Amino acid sequence: MLLAGVGDGPSLSAHRARFGALPTPDLDAVLSAVGAAAVAGRGGAGFPFARKVAAAAAGKRRHVVVVNLSEGEPASAKDTALALLAPHQILDGAEVVARALRTKEIHVVTPQERPAVADAITRAVDERAAAETRGGRGGPRWQLHSAAPGFVSGQAQAVLELLAGRPGLPVTAWQPEAISGLDGRPTLLSNAETWAQVAAVLRLGPLRYAAHGTFAEPGTTLLTLPHESDPDTAVVVETAYGTPWVSVLGAAVDRPVLLGGFHGTWAGAGVLAGARVSRVDLQQQGLTLGAGVVLPLPTGQCPIAFTWEIVDYLAGQSAQRCGPCRNGLPALAAEVGRLATGNPAVSWTRIAELVGLVERRGACAHPDGTARLVRSMLTTFDDEVGLHLAGRCGR
Amino acid sequence: MNRTIRVDWPSCAARGLCAELLPERIRLDEWGFPIVEGEVTPELARLAKAAVSACPHRALRLVAAR
Repeated sequence: MLLAGVGDGPSLSAHRARFGALPTPDLDAVLSAVGAAAVAGRGGAGFPFARKVAAAAAGKRRHVVVVNLSEGEPASAKDTALALLAPHQILDGAEVVARALRTKEIHVVTPQERPAVADAITRAVDERAAAETRGGRGGPRWQLHSAAPGFVSGQAQAVLELLAGRPGLPVTAWQPEAISGLDGRPTLLSNAETWAQVAAVLRLGPLRYAAHGTFAEPGTTLLTLPHESDPDTAVVVETAYGTPWVSVLGAAVDRPVLLGGFHGTWAGAGVLAGARVSRVDLQQQGLTLGAGVVLPLPTGQCPIAFTWEIVDYLAGQSAQRCGPCRNGLPALAAEVGRLATGNPAVSWTRIAELVGLVERRGACAHPDGTARLVRSMLTTFDDEVGLHLAGRCGR
Repeated sequence: MNRTIRVDWPSCAARGLCAELLPERIRLDEWGFPIVEGEVTPELARLAKAAVSACPHRALRLVAAR
């Protein structure tokens, strides 16, 4: 549904020719449609979009709409793919909801480290502005921003800081941004894919949207996977909920798979083999799909060493602002490193202790995500962890 | 209604006064940053307010317990 028009090219005229004019639902119609379609945030947290809109709508001050394209996770490419292939799908979602909220202020945040995204969005916004001028209407005021490189720059509070003209680093949120966001105004900030899904729901209506997916989880989700023969190349696929994992992953379905990317959780070998793509099913097993990054463990690789590499990277991506993260992540990475290398000084208890010391003790979810990954490694690979504690690897 | 203490982590500089003033609810981790445990009951409210206002970086807040 999101990528249906890829063959037509990314232009506004091709987009309108295929998908028709921008729908103009009022706020109640928006709320009931996105509620019925159970649209949830695709940035990783999975918060119900309808609740976010309702919270923002209750605010009295002028609303702000924010499109977040700043994919900090290097293994994710879905928002980049959307921006390059179907930018108007994203912008439609933001514009329809902004109109329903009677605001013209829409901010779009692109990642500096992926300049093609900003180029594609700039082109798309220019096309829309030109079309508005020709039509003699007053369109939204699109304001583009560039987020600095880094894993945490795409985090919601960091993005709001950037929009406020301060360094784009995470700060403590005392209230959800839908209630008090940019300059204390009600701010509807969502990930690019979320906006594209919203556009699809509002264009098709919840019933036709539900032609794909399952009863509990209508629609599709974007997944980013490594290319089968060239793992350094990311492949983005749009997958209907309920699709068997084997048809997404092929033979890799039998391997351990890291779901949800660097802040994600490990599905053990074979766990996905008979399963279908479903956030609900995964959640019941303590797993998360997060922003849709799916990384099968490369053949012959040690899962502990693989996880260590990621934890080490994540420790380096701390914004260095919050004490527990600044101190705890490097200590955690070092201890996981001792485990991975079979260092006799390693202590399982120390790893568990450090996980507890960083969790929920920061302005953003970076320490929590890192802790989740390590925790999941300890449980999913308990056999391998045991071997490593005994100084062996087994691979 | 009980309240709880939230830390504004980017502001906290591990000065540790909070743990001295409210050891009933706050201890320090190995790096000197506060570990907040449990809610602030009405009996502790006065001490908790003192700890919040003593913080040289204004990094603590009393908020409604969830």
